[in-house]
Amino acid sequence: MRAAVQVRDLRKSYGTREVLRGLDFQVEKGEIFALLGVNGAGKTTALECLEGLRRYDSGQVHIQGRTGIQLQSASLPAAIRPLEAVEWMARWKKTRLDPAVWEALDLAPLSNRMYGELSTGQKRRLHLALALLGDPEILFLDEPSAGLDVEARAALHGQIRRLRDRGKTILLASHDMAEVESLCDRLGILREGRVAFQGRASDLAEKVGGRCTIRVRTEQGEEVRETEDVGRTLLEMLEAYRREGRTVLDLKVDRGTLEQQFLAMAGKEVV
Amino acid sequence: MRNGFLYGLALQWRLDIRSRTMLVTCYLVPLIFFGIMGGIFTSLMPETRETLISSMTVMGVSMGALIGVPPSVAETYGGDIRRMYRANRIPLSAGLVSMVLSAFAHLLLMGIVLLLAAPVAFGAWMPTSIPQHIGRTAVFLATSLALGSAVGLAVRNQAKLTMVSQLFFLPSILLSGILFPPELLPEVLGKAGRIFPSYWGYRLMAGCGSFWENVWPLLLIGVVSVAVCGFLLRRLEAE
Repeated sequence: MRAAVQVRDLRKSYGTREVLRGLDFQVEKGEIFALLGVNGAGKTTALECLEGLRRYDSGQVHIQGRTGIQLQSASLPAAIRPLEAVEWMARWKKTRLDPAVWEALDLAPLSNRMYGELSTGQKRRLHLALALLGDPEILFLDEPSAGLDVEARAALHGQIRRLRDRGKTILLASHDMAEVESLCDRLGILREGRVAFQGRASDLAEKVGGRCTIRVRTEQGEEVRETEDVGRTLLEMLEAYRREGRTVLDLKVDRGTLEQQFLAMAGKEVV
Repeated sequence: MRNGFLYGLALQWRLDIRSRTMLVTCYLVPLIFFGIMGGIFTSLMPETRETLISSMTVMGVSMGALIGVPPSVAETYGGDIRRMYRANRIPLSAGLVSMVLSAFAHLLLMGIVLLLAAPVAFGAWMPTSIPQHIGRTAVFLATSLALGSAVGLAVRNQAKLTMVSQLFFLPSILLSGILFPPELLPEVLGKAGRIFPSYWGYRLMAGCGSFWENVWPLLLIGVVSVAVCGFLLRRLEAE
């Protein structure tokens, strides 16, 4: 089996509130997969069930490999130093931190600072280092870049990509569609406790069938058309220009952002 | 696993040294209280030299265990630190045991400082047997820490905890007999004092009544507190 994580019909309720209503998805080895959803969609519950931190009511979860976990809102005592935290966790896990990871996450300059003095980005990097203890094959990251500024977010994304390039499988939960679009190989959109879509971001437009905008610039000016059938409309426009002897200077097809497509999908399903 | 626990214990000891709350409640306030009240007690009532070490130890231990420990426990178990334990598969009980053992060592050290300083500073009487005094302090200390841990686990909101801790600490001091004899209190208050470990701890250290007469209530309070801690930890694990 190539899947690193396979989830079938996962169900979880808190009292009478059904949070996961038959979750189905799989994450292939060596990919970055995002569970995307609005707040309260059940992303964290799903991740925690997969991580074994929360009992689920029914369903099947298959995880192929060692796992490392970075929780959304985990913390450490304010007076602990990053090196002490790593040593402490490493001893519980009977492992050692790879010095290369420490260097790659740029944690060396922070080794002896107090946890309470670290910025949000620095804390995230430390939590990522803790998740990487024991060289896990699969990483679960819950909202890894929440609260980070643009620079810290870009740096963290680079680090996550490098982990993927080193062969790690990464499953992350996020409500940030721009992050998912730029970082992930595939995504699953969680809606009302189920996966409403699973695939590549580029496939989402097809699934949604959302409207695209075609902009064509000729010597006579710019023409803009909105359509649901890009191929046919484009052919019609180009045929017309050929007949009229107009030269196309520039052409752009805008399928909209993942956010627009996600919202379109949500709207479509609501209807 | 054992390695992780022992490292965590040593780390907790260091964290407590760095913690302002623990420094203030385990060392600073008890020793300042000792410095001021020791002087007042012994000059107003010279006979208090006989019980000065016991009364100051009860004050210091109660302060550390009931005011110092609960916020640390609540910070770990009421906030996001607990999630770090879970993410790294560290048993929740390991953190509590480390905190209790570290506080035990700090407060015992404070007790030994009092034991050594009181005779020099205020001419306090030394206990007839120092090992026995330390042993009795340890029993009282263990019970007080168990109670403090239960309070910290039960009330995880820091604002409420400050109030609840005082509800345990103030009667512990006022009704235990360290400031004035319980016989002078109204009967109801005198009896109410008996539900706090400080009452029995003071009697045990000061040599009032028989050893077992004072130890069994401490053991009972300790066992009930440990049971409450176990129950609350299990509930936290299930959350």
